[in-house]
Amino acid sequence: MNAALDPEIAASPLAVHGLTVSYGRKPAVYSVDFVTPPGSMTAIIGPNGAGKSTLLKAALGITRRLSGDVRVFGKPYAEQSRHVAYVPQRSSVDWDFPATVLDVVMMGLYRDLRWWQLTRRRHREQAMQSLSRVGMEAFAERQIGQLSGGQQQRVFLARALVQDAELMILDEPFAGVDAATEKAIVEVLKSLKARGKTLLCVHHDLATVRDYFDHVLLINVRRVAAGRVDQAFTSAALQEAYGGRLSDVQLARIICPAAHLTQRA
Amino acid sequence: MLTTWLEPWGRALLFGAGYNTSLVTLGAMILGASAGMIGSFILLRKRSLVSDAVSHATLPGLTLAFILMATLWGDGRWLPGLLIGAAASAAFGLWAVQTIRDRTRLGEDAAIGAILSTLFGFGVVLITAIQSMNVGGQAGLTGYLVGATAGMLASEATLITACALLLLVAVFVMRRAFLLVCFDADYATTRGLNARHIDLIMLMLLLAVVVIGLKVTGLILIVALTIIPPVTGRFWTDRPLRMVAIAALCGALAGYLGVTLSSVRSGLPTGPLIVLAAFLLFAVSLLFSPRRGIVATLAAHQRFKRRVHLRQGLLALARDDAIYDDLTLRVLRRRGYIRRDGVATPLGASAARDAEHEERLWALYRNRYPDEAAQLDHQGLVPINSALPPDTVITLESDLQRIPGSVQ
Repeated sequence: MNAALDPEIAASPLAVHGLTVSYGRKPAVYSVDFVTPPGSMTAIIGPNGAGKSTLLKAALGITRRLSGDVRVFGKPYAEQSRHVAYVPQRSSVDWDFPATVLDVVMMGLYRDLRWWQLTRRRHREQAMQSLSRVGMEAFAERQIGQLSGGQQQRVFLARALVQDAELMILDEPFAGVDAATEKAIVEVLKSLKARGKTLLCVHHDLATVRDYFDHVLLINVRRVAAGRVDQAFTSAALQEAYGGRLSDVQLARIICPAAHLTQRA
Repeated sequence: MLTTWLEPWGRALLFGAGYNTSLVTLGAMILGASAGMIGSFILLRKRSLVSDAVSHATLPGLTLAFILMATLWGDGRWLPGLLIGAAASAAFGLWAVQTIRDRTRLGEDAAIGAILSTLFGFGVVLITAIQSMNVGGQAGLTGYLVGATAGMLASEATLITACALLLLVAVFVMRRAFLLVCFDADYATTRGLNARHIDLIMLMLLLAVVVIGLKVTGLILIVALTIIPPVTGRFWTDRPLRMVAIAALCGALAGYLGVTLSSVRSGLPTGPLIVLAAFLLFAVSLLFSPRRGIVATLAAHQRFKRRVHLRQGLLALARDDAIYDDLTLRVLRRRGYIRRDGVATPLGASAARDAEHEERLWALYRNRYPDEAAQLDHQGLVPINSALPPDTVITLESDLQRIPGSVQ
């Protein structure tokens, strides 16, 4: 792939080509190509063990990849990491860590602080501002171990917001959070999209794909389908990705949620 | 008897016991501070045992360096040479632990156990061999086991102080990167940090602290200086860099007390005294820390009990139930919520209404979000506004008003 020549890849906040990751001999992700459209809100969808999180982690350089190429705005990730904000799964950290909510959000400012600098009021205000965007400013001094699951997720989102990056990558942000938090997070994500940012999100709830996202990437180790939701998010593609595990009723509910709702009403 | 001890100790405490002792005291303090700082990050990375492996792994290198220098020059007591030997074998031990962890199915703890005992055993064999050699200064080697600052040369003290100072600066420079990796290595990677390199730097600084501390606390006890002060710091704060700062302070204080005490009489080992001083600070924190100390925990339990009684009493008032529990009555009376005969005051009636309203909100929350509610501590006992984000509370309030039959 010659990234310098392909304008689509040069403009994309995250383009992966031939990405393969393997745990032992078993490939978790096999030769996946995907070019994230700039300004899109893309859901990565697939059954359990389909390699959704692995794909993201390999793209971000967390998991070592066996082969493949990752480009952020046409350049390797290592040069462009300031453009990317990552929201990991809640379970990835030890919540007994001695830190307050504000401490965690301030970690998002890592690149703005040189080693001789102490944290200033300006940084603290920046962090408080992004906390207020997720409705958590009253919790700034709270020890992180005292938060509920939804509140932890909000804090992680605030840490990513403070980075003010062009691309935000989220790993199952709605897993195990309450409905109010889900709504709050979706609102923040949509406001980011309105400001021209790109969002890429591992998502597990098929019923909300149409409401939240405009693009999808369906994978099951290999890429199954990708594109706009109305074109790629079809029952045929879903059946292929999920290996025929979805019933017709489930499919109808997912593909046409509006029809389902009117039916129930 | 007591004054013969106190008088020289007091002089040492005020840096009045001679140039050498003062220099050693200063060096031990800076060493304690850097050990506390790097130890805090190692603790947060959950690798405290690694420092144990590093310190024991220094012995064979130390003894080999001694043998080498003794055969070449007839005297093996040159400190920089000994430290270089110690560092080399500690680095080997560290490499071996990492390799066993990465290449085999053994965990890090098993690898540490295997390497630590093997290298230490090897070192002890070498010491025995040295004792049968016909060279000077063999006796000085035991000083590296438990620490001996009494007969330290000024040049040695200067070297230790300068290196410790260098380490202190290095940890300070790296503090944010260390913190990021300790909290979430994956996230640190996405910010352009190489987590493996940062881990390596952390271990190298630990190794340096251990090696420099050999002459001061001895290799068996240097571990205490990298573990006890950080644990002490954890008692006093919930913020990461403050914990590091407090650990540095405790380490410096332990070094100060230990070295000055050991200067009172020749033959008093420095290492054990430093460790005892560190433990004293730990014990005080364990008992009296306002956050996690034993006394504070007991007091917090009493407060919690009163809060439960207060809430139950208010709910009983709201429902016009009779209250029989003595503590409940006492708590309500003290707040002015009931009169002596048990009838609610106007203040009490309004507090009871508020409590009942909150209770409804909490019940609704439990009903709506059972999973979330199960994760929250003592819900219903703290004001709902301080426990849930404002948007959640607003949703609950408006939902509650829509429920028919709710009394507003």
